[in-house]
Amino acid sequence: MSYKITEDGNIATVHLDGEIDMDVTEKAKEVIMPLIEGGKEVHLNLKEVQYMDSSGISVLIESHQKAAELGSRVVLKEISKSVLKVIMMAKLEQILIIE
Amino acid sequence: MTFSEGREFSVHSSSLKEIRSFAREVLAKDNIFKSTSDDVVLALAEAAQNIVKHAYSGEATSDNLKVDISFENNQLKIDLYDKGVPAIPTNIRPRNIEDIKPGGLGTFFIGQIMDEVMFKTSATDWVNHLILIKNY
Repeated sequence: MSYKITEDGNIATVHLDGEIDMDVTEKAKEVIMPLIEGGKEVHLNLKEVQYMDSSGISVLIESHQKAAELGSRVVLKEISKSVLKVIMMAKLEQILIIE
Repeated sequence: MTFSEGREFSVHSSSLKEIRSFAREVLAKDNIFKSTSDDVVLALAEAAQNIVKHAYSGEATSDNLKVDISFENNQLKIDLYDKGVPAIPTNIRPRNIEDIKPGGLGTFFIGQIMDEVMFKTSATDWVNHLILIKNY
């Protein structure tokens, strides 16, 4: 997994790339959580994520919940087909914020 | 078509990518798997992840786990073997999907994707033997 962060005002966009599994979830959290805790609205661009398993889904849930707790939000953007399929299998498409 | 292929991998989260690659290679052998390949790879990877997470509690080990993938009579069978802590099948349940929280989704995904999931007690050198079946 690789990532790139761009910031525009209060919005931080994290472009994730590659496969997100148990092996990289800690790294993903290390990237995303400080932005949320810093009060940013975080946009996760998942266009280049070819694979995500339950560990990756857990990162999305955790991020979403942490942001909600702090009065902010995490928005999922340009979700790849394969990741959207897993989100839907987990029945999270109505829970997570998808734009 | 029938085939059977097996490979051993280190019990480590870094092996999950190799396990997925192995499964993708095997499932590329026939178009019959084309529409379900990604799902089956996910189910296998979730099962392997459970071995790393639960059978070994994420602790470092020099053990291997073994994956066999076979196809016969329109039935895809995946056997996973490990030497971790013996699984108690009755304790392995997917969490309530309505309960939105991180964790516990892997078993739910496996159940959604595969037609049969069972533990087998067999006289082998391994401790746990999980069988995943999908019918075509």
